[in-house]
This record gives sequence, C-alpha cells and structure tokens, in this order.
Amino acid sequence: MSALLKSELRKLIYLRANWLLLLWSGLFAALGTVAPILVLNSDNGPGRGVFSGTETQEGINAVFANAAGGYLFALILGILIMTNEYRHGTAVGTFLVTPKRSTVLVAKLIAASLAGLVIQLFSFLFAITSGFIALTFFEPHAPVPAELLFKVFRASAISGLVLGIVGVGLGALVKNQIAAVTGAVIWTLIVEGLVVAFVESIGKYLPAGAITGLVDVDFGENDFNFSIENYLSPGPATLVLLGYAALFSLIAMRTTLRRDLD
Amino acid sequence: MSSVKIEFKDLSKRYKDVLAVSNFSAQVQSGRVTGFLGPNGAGKSTALRCLLGLVNPTGGSAEINGGSYSQLQDPIHKVGAVLDSRGFHPGLTAKQNLKIMASASDINFSRIDEVLELVDLASAANKRTKGFSLGMKQRLSLAIAMLGDPEILILDEPANGLDPLGIVWLREFLQKLAGEGRTILVSSHQLAEMQNTVSDVLIINKGVLVAQGTIKEICKGRSLEEAFLELTLRKSA
Repeated sequence: MSALLKSELRKLIYLRANWLLLLWSGLFAALGTVAPILVLNSDNGPGRGVFSGTETQEGINAVFANAAGGYLFALILGILIMTNEYRHGTAVGTFLVTPKRSTVLVAKLIAASLAGLVIQLFSFLFAITSGFIALTFFEPHAPVPAELLFKVFRASAISGLVLGIVGVGLGALVKNQIAAVTGAVIWTLIVEGLVVAFVESIGKYLPAGAITGLVDVDFGENDFNFSIENYLSPGPATLVLLGYAALFSLIAMRTTLRRDLD
Repeated sequence: MSSVKIEFKDLSKRYKDVLAVSNFSAQVQSGRVTGFLGPNGAGKSTALRCLLGLVNPTGGSAEINGGSYSQLQDPIHKVGAVLDSRGFHPGLTAKQNLKIMASASDINFSRIDEVLELVDLASAANKRTKGFSLGMKQRLSLAIAMLGDPEILILDEPANGLDPLGIVWLREFLQKLAGEGRTILVSSHQLAEMQNTVSDVLIINKGVLVAQGTIKEICKGRSLEEAFLELTLRKSA
C-alpha cells in the first residue's frame, strides 16, 4: 500500500496542472476575502450603507469566513486523480501493476484526501494573508480574533480532506473528465449556492451548507440576512461531511471494482 | 520440456448483444513466441484483456501459471503487457511515467535507465510524451512492460503504426526476448512479420478458435497469410 500511495503522490507532484490548480485555489479563496473588503469599504459601492464595513466584527467575520472557499479545487483535484486514469489510458497500467482494484482505490482516496488538505491549507493561508494586506488600506478595522481564524482553518482542513474523496467518487462514477469537472463546478458555484441560500432546511445538509456550519461564524442577521443558527453546529456538520466521504468512497469502490477496462 | 504458461478455458465475453469471445480454449507454451492472429473484431483484444483481469469474462476463464492474473504475486515481475499505444500521461516525460510505474511496485529506479536503453529511447527520456511519435509511444509501452523483467510478455498489436524501420526493430526486439527464453503472446495483423517471428500460432475469428499449432502445422507449406486467409474465410463461409 505504501508503494502505491507513493506512486499516487508522485503523479500529483509531477503534473504541472495540479500546481496550477493549487495556485488557482489560492487566488479564488483570496478573491473571497479581498473582494468583500473592497465592497464593504467602498464609498460608492453596493455595500456602503447596506452592510457593515470592516470596522465592525460582523464585517470582519463575513470577510474571513470566505477563506475556506477553495474547497471546489479540492473537489476538482479528486476528480482529476480518478478521471486522468481513464482519459489517458493509464488505468490499464495501474491495474496491471496492482490487480486488486480495491487497493488502488484506497491509495487514490488517501492521496486525494491529502491533496485536498494541502489545497485547502494553501488557499486558506493565501486568503488570510491577502485579507490582512487588503485590510491595511482600510484602517481602522475591527480586530481579527484568533478564534475566527481557527474556526475557518478547521473548516478548511476538514472540507479539504473530505472533498478530495468526494472528487474521486465522482470521477469514478462519471469517468468523462470534462463532464465531471463541469458538473462539479456548476453544482458548487450555482446549484448548491442557491439551495443553501434559499432552502436552508435542505441546504444545511449539502456539502456547502455543512462547511458553512463547520465554519460556525455569524455575520449578523440584520446586515447580511444570514444566521448561523440555521445551519448545523460543527460536530454534526463534520459528521455530515464524513458521511459524504463514506458515500462517495463506496461509489468509487463499486463502480471501479466492477467496470471493464476496454 | 515446455509447460503451459497461459491457458484460455472456454472463455466467453458478451457485450450486450455482441458475443465478442465464444467458448475460446487455447494454450500458450512456455519459452515460445505465440502469434495470436485474427481479423479486426475477432476477439483478440477482448481475450487478452480477460487474461489480464481488465475485463470480466461472461463465462470460462483465462489463466496465467495456473491462476487468474489477479492471483499473481507481484504481477509486474511475472507478466509485462502492451495493450495500446496509450497508457502514459502525455504531460509527463518518459522517465516520469516510468518512475510512477516503478514506485508502485518498489522497482529500483536504476531499472528505468536499463529499459529505456533496451527500447532505444534513452535519448528521449526527459521529453514529454505528448510529443512522441507513435513508434516512440510503442517503444515506451514496451519499456513499461519490461520494467519488472517479466518472464511472460503479452503484446496486443505492438507493430500498429510503426514504420518499416520500427517493424524491423520490433522483430529483432522480440527475437532477442524470445532468445532469452521468455514466453511471448503477440497479436498482430502483420502476417508476413509474424511468419518470421513466431513459433506457434493461435487463430481466432468471430470470437471462436479457428486453428492452433506450431507455425509448420498451420502453414503446411503455404505462407502464413495464405493459411490465415483460408482458415478464416473457410470458417466464415
């Protein structure tokens, strides 16, 4: 197993596209922290007079909660780990070296989980650093409590570990790389966002809703029409995410173990 | 004294309405080069994929050393396979692709330089494979197959897309491996080439075994091409 895991990690390290994905995850998460700072503090922007600025704790919370937002890239990397095998025909070689497909799958799930963690930790650090730099242009601002950063860090780490696994499951199910990645992006950025925003009773159980619950940061109901009370608390939210990891691991196992490689 | 290395036992594979392989039974002896011949769509690739555990048979079995491929301990050291000219990531160099395969089976990286030399690809070791010609891709596939220094080689159309020089190179390469006592099962359309290379022949048509024997027994004084056409056309008629 350790040899197989080393091989999977080697694939991740060698591919330039993965490093680009890591960079994009940082930029995406940084956009999530920097853009609200600019909007909330703009004299003429849509945020001024409507939302609290970064001089309030709610404003700071709203900004830094977004630092966990790079999880889409952990999901995409998980998809690529699986679909690259079919797209480039390397699945044949992989399963010839290790005919026990369940062993290959376990190695891929572990590698995807670790890669998801790295993506989320990198994007978290990138977003937090960018947020702090942007805030220096808008002094004075409310303090950024260590507890807030810890909560977002925790959400980043757990979501990265889980969504890498979910990506492998999706990739095993769909196989077609473009379809899987496009579907994941549309789901994460549009469908899930709308459900989480407008149907909270269902949305809180979706991955994005569970991650929001895991972040466990309130922005202020009056300003942002958002209440963390409507989401799961961190413990149940973690269990929901682990449930997704288990479900998609099972999907990956069942589809990959039975499939003919033509 | 040769022994049976590979055995197909009543192997069948059905894809929805298509019976790709039907009760196919054949044996491959150790230390021999066996040509696996048949028209397009005859079931050669499907039979080989069943043998390598990549495709689940509908019935029967295909065995290597008396068991299924998945039962082999350390299979990369027992069997090397070339199934098509893909099988490596185009964004990686030849060496990186080989390192991935080697690290998955704890093979020392010094072996990578050896197999690249073996297939005359050492000068392209650090080039990305997306720029490789078809011939270079076939050589890299062979390098991957040889990584574990296996005693058995299973090659599906290794001459596909090769230019005349590449075909001559492949013939000499296979003859060299055969001279080392390895068991080689090679499917091909290049009948003239096969006549110069193989010692035994299996002919399959429409998923059914048509003929099996030494090349002398199959040809009976004719060329392999004449024998092949007669056997496949006769069975088709």
